[in-house]
Amino acid sequence: MSARRDLLEQQALIGSIQPAVHVPQNWNYEVEAPLFKAYAHPPHDVGGQFDAPILYEEKEEEQWEANVYVTCEVLGWRGVWNSEERRRRADNDLGYALYLGIPYYGRWIMAAARMLVDKNHIALTELIEKIAEVKARNAKK
Amino acid sequence: MPKSKPPEKVRPPADAARFKVGDRVRVKDMPNLFYSRTQMYIRGVVGTIAECTYKDIIPEDEAFNRDGRIEQYYIVRFRQKDLWPEYQFENDTLQTESPERWLEPAD
Repeated sequence: MSARRDLLEQQALIGSIQPAVHVPQNWNYEVEAPLFKAYAHPPHDVGGQFDAPILYEEKEEEQWEANVYVTCEVLGWRGVWNSEERRRRADNDLGYALYLGIPYYGRWIMAAARMLVDKNHIALTELIEKIAEVKARNAKK
Repeated sequence: MPKSKPPEKVRPPADAARFKVGDRVRVKDMPNLFYSRTQMYIRGVVGTIAECTYKDIIPEDEAFNRDGRIEQYYIVRFRQKDLWPEYQFENDTLQTESPERWLEPAD
């Protein structure tokens, strides 16, 4: 379990994940059509959007990424989900913050975990408790 | 209680292709709700059918694991100048793929 001070630092970090140009909003009573369209826009459709230049890197694939890939493919072969659900819709459903904030295969594994909970293959408490158990085990090493 | 009908296992055949190579089409701007695979940058833009690719399940059905509808897909060719207002080169094109329901005749 985290110390209270760590939790407060974590809260400050969560608060910092906001647009650089912040428009005050809080469950608006009226949302004009263009703004609604912006809110409802699927995160994966980025073509034509303005962005700052980013560094192009030739990144080698890491072992955890291959593990995620195989896990997601096996779930597909077993008929648990299809490619449009997993790679596209489920990734989008993570929302903008997670979609843009974590690595490509991070999206995949988050989407896989979410799908397994959604489709009742595992209970959320079961997953949370397992993650806590593994974290505790790793902390001892 | 009456027995409910089992889910349809055999997908109905797709209708005949509405467009042919060379036809001018405009990409529809349908509302985005929960999911879309039709890019914003091609919506409302007129392009040319470059290829009738194949018939396949539509993205909106597959994304929610519906035993979905089969539709003709097309490769549509756009002039880059039509997609990007500031684009400078006359002859450059961009091709992307779309299912039939997202296209309408341009003329």
